[in-house]
Amino acid sequence: MKTFQIQCKVEIIRILRNRYFVFWSLVMPIIFYYVFTNLVNSNIPNKSEWQAHYLMSMTVFSVMGSSMMTLGIRLVQERSQGWSTFLRTTPLSNTVYFAAQMVGQSVIHVFSIVIIFIAGALINDVSLTVLEWIMSGLWILLGSLPFLALGTLIGLMKKVETAAGVSNVLYMVLAVSGGLWMPLEVMPKMMQAIAKWLPSYNFGSGAWEIVRGGLPDWKNMMLLIAYLVLFMLLSNYIRRKQEVV
Amino acid sequence: MNEIVTVNNVTKSFQHKKAVDDVSFSISKGEVVAILGPNGAGKTTTISMILGLLKPTSGEVRLFNLLPHEKQVREKIGTMLQEVSVMQGLKVNEILELIRSYYPQPLSIQELIALTGLTPQDLKTRAEKLSGGQKRRLSFALALAGNPELIIFDEPTVGMDITSRKRFWQTVRTLADQGKTIIFSTHYLQEADDAADRILLFKDGAIAADGTPAQIKASITKQSVSFVVDPEKSLEKLYQHSEITDIFRKNNRVYIHTDNTDRILELLFQERIGARDIQIERGKLEEAFEQLTGESKEAI
Repeated sequence: MKTFQIQCKVEIIRILRNRYFVFWSLVMPIIFYYVFTNLVNSNIPNKSEWQAHYLMSMTVFSVMGSSMMTLGIRLVQERSQGWSTFLRTTPLSNTVYFAAQMVGQSVIHVFSIVIIFIAGALINDVSLTVLEWIMSGLWILLGSLPFLALGTLIGLMKKVETAAGVSNVLYMVLAVSGGLWMPLEVMPKMMQAIAKWLPSYNFGSGAWEIVRGGLPDWKNMMLLIAYLVLFMLLSNYIRRKQEVV
Repeated sequence: MNEIVTVNNVTKSFQHKKAVDDVSFSISKGEVVAILGPNGAGKTTTISMILGLLKPTSGEVRLFNLLPHEKQVREKIGTMLQEVSVMQGLKVNEILELIRSYYPQPLSIQELIALTGLTPQDLKTRAEKLSGGQKRRLSFALALAGNPELIIFDEPTVGMDITSRKRFWQTVRTLADQGKTIIFSTHYLQEADDAADRILLFKDGAIAADGTPAQIKASITKQSVSFVVDPEKSLEKLYQHSEITDIFRKNNRVYIHTDNTDRILELLFQERIGARDIQIERGKLEEAFEQLTGESKEAI
């Protein structure tokens, strides 16, 4: 148990010291948030609803990014540089190692969610009920699971450069087509139809519903769970194939 | 049971190519063993199997009479792999603390500093900013962090300068004196000779020789006794002795190849050959080693 705690702590320290994480998952979403709610789209009818909506979009964007990129790239780094091999010669169990990565990453997500929510409250006076803040935060935390699984899938790549490239493109495509940067309604019908099936849209959609005073659709949940299962099965399958030496 | 490592008829094939071919040996507590051989002789593959990083295609490896991947084994071994790697984003002392936390009875940071020569400056440095030499010291410290009974180094001195090398082997001696069992691989005969009590000489995935450095050297170098003798004199009497592996005349001298030069000298006087100007020659060790392992460049 002590090992697990130290391992988690170390993972958290490492993420916080990672400049890419700080830039992509904290600084960028907050800048975007400021720009898109104050400098552009200023003549939107229901301004406060848009501000809350877009705050959710950016928080989802942040958490999605650190699940896929921070985690994925780190896993590839550790393997390609031989650190994982070294760990296999120590008494640290694979389960503890993996669990610590996930828990550490989730603690970071709580941290990002809180920071970005606070930024929203400060920048635009976004005011939600306590229940709405908590519910949307929890939704974003749990909804990140399929993306963590996707991160481990990216983590199976051989080269850091490939992992960074692939995860970057995937991240941007998912973010834009999932309606995280601009609302889905402004996109062509065709795109909208596709987006409804993407994990990123369903991730965002649940949070948007909550801040609108509703609840996430069951379809959002089912699709996210389906993606989680799919990514986990895939990454288990690939890992097993790689391990046969 | 004093056997720390037992390797039983172990074979490892990669796509029909046998990297290690039916190798067996055992290592007892307190031994310092060098796995010596040229690149591609199967040293790293053997070490990987001992560490449980690779599974033998057939045969079995046991450490402390358990399988290598078991937790009780992991708690008693420490290792420094060929590829020096560190955890990014952490300072050296943080990495050390982390790895120490994996073991039931780790060495203290002070002890690790004393053994490996890490400086206070190193401890505060982030892993990704370490120089090659600092990384080596760190991975040495990581190998010792758990106060292991069995320490395994794969090509430990590659990339070390002469001073670090000297220091490294001094520390290894200290550890050996504490009763630790040490296995290291190298392709430098000199290093194996200086540091090990026993050499396992690998060639083409098999053990070509197993013995003390002196035995290995004796077995791979051709020693000879040469002398001048009256051409009329018959050397018939000498032929009967089994110590002589070869005897021939060259440039007015008689050359006798043997494993035991002392015995040949005795014979020369016993048989009253009338030998003059006797010389004992040892074949050049490195040349013999190169010949044996079929490699010329890397054996220094």
